[in-house]
Amino acid sequence: MAIQGFLVVSLLFSCLAATSYGVTFSSLQESLVVTASPKHGQVLRAGEDNIVVTWSFNKSLAAGTDSSYKTVKFKLCYAPVSQQDRAWRKTEDHLNKDKTCQHNIVTKPYSSSNNTFTWTAERDVPTATYFIRAYAYNSADHEVAYGQTTDAHKTTNLFNVQAISGRHVSLDIASICFSAFAVVSLFGFFFLEKRKAKKSQAK
Amino acid sequence: MWPSQLHKKPYVTPQSTIAPFKLTVQASECGQVDCTRSRHLYQISRFPSAESVLRIWKSLKLAHLQRLSNMEVSYGAPPESVQKKFALPVDSEHKATEFRLFSVAAPHMRAFHLSWVSFFACFVSTFAAPPLLPIIRDDLDLTATDIGNAGIAAVSGAAFARVAMGTACDLFGPRLASSALTLITAPAVYCTAIANSPASFILVRFFTGFSLATFVSTQFWMSSLFSSKVVGTANGVAGGWGNLGGGATQLIMPLVFDLIHNIGATKFTAWRIAFFIPALFQTLSAYGIFFLGQDLPDGNYSQLHKSGDKHKDNFSQVFYHAITNYRGWILALTYGYCFGVELTIDNIIAQYFYDRFNVNLHTAGIIAASFGLANLFSRPAGGILSDIMSKRYGMRGRLWALWIFQTLGGIFCIFLGKVGSLGVSIAVMIIFSVFVQAACGLTFGIVPFVSRRSLGIVSGMTGGGGNVGAVLTQVIFFRGSRYSTETGITLMGIMIICCSLVIMSIYFPQWGGMFCGPSSKVTTEEDYYMSEWNSAEKERGIHMASMKFSENSRSERGRRVESAPTPINGTPTTQTLSSALEFVKRKEHAEKITIKPIKEYAHTTSTSICPSKLEIDIASIPKSLIIYTNKFFIAKPKFLAILGD
Repeated sequence: MAIQGFLVVSLLFSCLAATSYGVTFSSLQESLVVTASPKHGQVLRAGEDNIVVTWSFNKSLAAGTDSSYKTVKFKLCYAPVSQQDRAWRKTEDHLNKDKTCQHNIVTKPYSSSNNTFTWTAERDVPTATYFIRAYAYNSADHEVAYGQTTDAHKTTNLFNVQAISGRHVSLDIASICFSAFAVVSLFGFFFLEKRKAKKSQAK
Repeated sequence: MWPSQLHKKPYVTPQSTIAPFKLTVQASECGQVDCTRSRHLYQISRFPSAESVLRIWKSLKLAHLQRLSNMEVSYGAPPESVQKKFALPVDSEHKATEFRLFSVAAPHMRAFHLSWVSFFACFVSTFAAPPLLPIIRDDLDLTATDIGNAGIAAVSGAAFARVAMGTACDLFGPRLASSALTLITAPAVYCTAIANSPASFILVRFFTGFSLATFVSTQFWMSSLFSSKVVGTANGVAGGWGNLGGGATQLIMPLVFDLIHNIGATKFTAWRIAFFIPALFQTLSAYGIFFLGQDLPDGNYSQLHKSGDKHKDNFSQVFYHAITNYRGWILALTYGYCFGVELTIDNIIAQYFYDRFNVNLHTAGIIAASFGLANLFSRPAGGILSDIMSKRYGMRGRLWALWIFQTLGGIFCIFLGKVGSLGVSIAVMIIFSVFVQAACGLTFGIVPFVSRRSLGIVSGMTGGGGNVGAVLTQVIFFRGSRYSTETGITLMGIMIICCSLVIMSIYFPQWGGMFCGPSSKVTTEEDYYMSEWNSAEKERGIHMASMKFSENSRSERGRRVESAPTPINGTPTTQTLSSALEFVKRKEHAEKITIKPIKEYAHTTSTSICPSKLEIDIASIPKSLIIYTNKFFIAKPKFLAILGD
């Protein structure tokens, strides 16, 4: 009886552990310093404008903290104003459920200082307000630390990206032409119908 | 009525076969019959054999000759029209009595396939946005509120459009009405490709949603082409396979999008191009209906109006009779809780599975699609069940089946909100979808019988009621965060059960309701459908289509058809006449036989003993006259003198 109970509990526990194994954001240490070139409130055009990102290890922390860092992944993250009324961008503590950072910028191998790179905002980045966050991964590919361009409340150094609209002149013209064609053929239908009716009356 | 007189045949002596002359017609052996009845002269279009005429004569006697002489009874198109051969067996209104799914024969099955395909196209267009929302919401910067409002807008336009469509069908015919609507909403789908803001997105979804009114033209068209024995089946399959578009689009649009994206377009352009596919499909289906479809078995409304074979009805009368028939309103309410529920689920179910059970978006989309795809068989099954119940139990069977299935749908909806595990939830959802969609099919097994004159508007009201139900349900239970989605689903189930109770109040005096049999004062189908016409209109003879429909709807009595009561207000039972004409048609291999009363000779005698003499002046009759006896025929037959008793 006790053994059965123990089995059930351990089963449940392992299930729980498996599902909740994901790393939580609150467990990460902010040990990276990340700065980006856009100023607060600057508007960048997707597909055209560049962002220069500079990052390094925070020297004020103990020296051996970064021994497990292997790679650093940079992501474009939504600022709170762009998350409002949009449940698909919600911030969750469990990182595997978190939807704050949906756009990958680049993955770089870890080095503690003198790192910069330039990135062009891609054409599928939507119009929104962003900041940049870097996650440091260990060799087991789990997040162990992070750094971001904004403060803990995500209020400073936020920049905007203006997306491409996806519209093209050719598309616009095609839409309007097809629509006009549909309406004209409708009038054609009415005209044909009247003519057919007159014919059958004349018969 | 005169069973003892049936063996008495008219006996006439022709004096000459050359016009002009005076003909003495003598009726003999009237026996005890009161000879104050009139004599009727009938013109018969084709000279039949002795046996046939005898049959007709007997049936005319049975059919209350007095009354019959006021009606034109034709068993076919007027002689001037072209002879028509139908691929399917038809009844007196030329409606098909069989439903052959794999045939495309004109006009019945061809119209069926055209109408369900175009309705499918409209559904695909209306629900083309939801599967692509993850891309669209980023492109247009939509909030959850915008998305919710767009979803409500998509189904709200059709609420009014369906009633307008019903009117258009009554006045202009389903072919022109549906192809016009499909074409006029196609620009909204094309313009979805150029939407650039939340406001424009909501607008295009609103106008695209109008195309869902083609549902009404589908049901109206099927009700005009298929007889009461198969109308439930035809309506159910056409409606179900059209509704399939709502499920199919969840699979089609992502595929089209992926294809275009892989060819090289960026995401924000690819979704725009993808919308051209449903738009083109819609446009082509409109063309198909216009060029290949036909309103009625005998032709199109405009032709029939001009040739005088179909009367162009008066809008205000049609409208009045639709809104004063309480059954239309009840069915509109109940349809809101089967079809409206279906539309609501189409909008919220993917999100529900995604949020509650943490499946990924693709899986949630497939589950959502399977709800809509159940329409392939469940709505047609509802229609077929309606026809089966009617065969056995008549209209009462149809009403009971509707109430049972809709209530069961409500019960499973309550379960759906309560169930907490993924597998069981999917199973309950599928069972729920089958009941709810079958209830939709069952509803439209009843709608064709609510009104004949205003069939279009009643169909439109019921269909519109479905959309109103969808809007109401989404606004009450699925907007904002007042209720969690699962609570909303359970509450929706309770509302389904409560609103289905009103089905109990539907009562047809000639067939009964759920708990009551037919009226104790004998009412016939004619009384019910003729009450939609006033006497002035009846005098002009424009009520004839309703007359034929009443006769054909006698099957809604169920197994009791054999013991049909004799109407006490004198309306003749033309069933015996049409079956006699049917016999004649088969015997003579004639496509049509017309019997038209042309003259009534009033003749009275004060004695109860016949023979009486009747002199007919041939010159006063336009064509040559033939008098039939059971012994000999005279050449060039055109007239048949039937002498009452």
